[in-house]
Amino acid sequence: MKNFDAEVKLAIFRWFAETGRRPELPEVAGCIGSSEEVVTEAYLRLQADRVLSLEKDGVSIRMAPPFSGVVTEHVVEVGPLRYFANCAWDALGIPAALHRPATIRSRCGQSGESLRLEVGTEGPETSDWLFHSLVPAAHWWDDIVFT
Amino acid sequence: MLFFRSEDHVRAWCAERNVPPRPLVSLPQLWGLSTTWYGTRLAAEARRPRPTEMRSIFAGLGLEGDFWDPTADAFE
Repeated sequence: MKNFDAEVKLAIFRWFAETGRRPELPEVAGCIGSSEEVVTEAYLRLQADRVLSLEKDGVSIRMAPPFSGVVTEHVVEVGPLRYFANCAWDALGIPAALHRPATIRSRCGQSGESLRLEVGTEGPETSDWLFHSLVPAAHWWDDIVFT
Repeated sequence: MLFFRSEDHVRAWCAERNVPPRPLVSLPQLWGLSTTWYGTRLAAEARRPRPTEMRSIFAGLGLEGDFWDPTADAFE
C-alpha cells in the first residue's frame, strides 16, 4: 500500500473512532491536506484492497470495517459515542479496535429478540448467544455488503 | 453475519431461506476473531490478514473445514 493511501486510511479510521460517523470526502481531504481528487483516487485503491466499501457515488464510505458509514441494527455504545457496525462480527470488532469497554445492542436474526451485550477490554460477558455467517470465508468479499 | 439466540433460531432462519446451516460460532470465538482482525485497525501498520494467516487464526479458534478456508472452492 502506498504511503499516501495508508495516510488516507488512517484518517478515515481515526475519524470514525473519534466521532462515531463516517467522514465526508472534504473532511478526509482536509485532515491530510490534499485535494479531493487525489483522495478519491486513494479511496478506489483502498476499496480494491478490501479496506473500504464505497457507495455508488464513489466518494461516500459505506463500510470501513468494523465501522459502518450507514445506520444498521448493530449499535455499539462506547462512553458517550455511538457507532454502527456492519454485522455481528463487526459489533465486537469495534470495542476490539478501540480497546474500550462497550455495550452492544442488536437482535436475533430470526426472532428479533433484543440483545444487550456488555463487552470489556478482555471480551464479552458470558452469553450463550451465537454468531452465524451464511457466506463462507472464500466469498466474503464477493459482495461484502450482503455478507 | 448475524447474532442468534440459539441453534434452533439459526436452523429456523436457514429453513425459511432454503439455505444450509453453516458452522455456529460462540461469542468467545467471535471475540477471538474480532481481536485478531481489528485489534490493530487504528494503527498505521494495520493490514488485513493474508489467506495463510486467516487459516491459522481460524484454526486457533477451533474454526476448521472448507467453510473457513479463504481459498476453498467448495462453496462456489
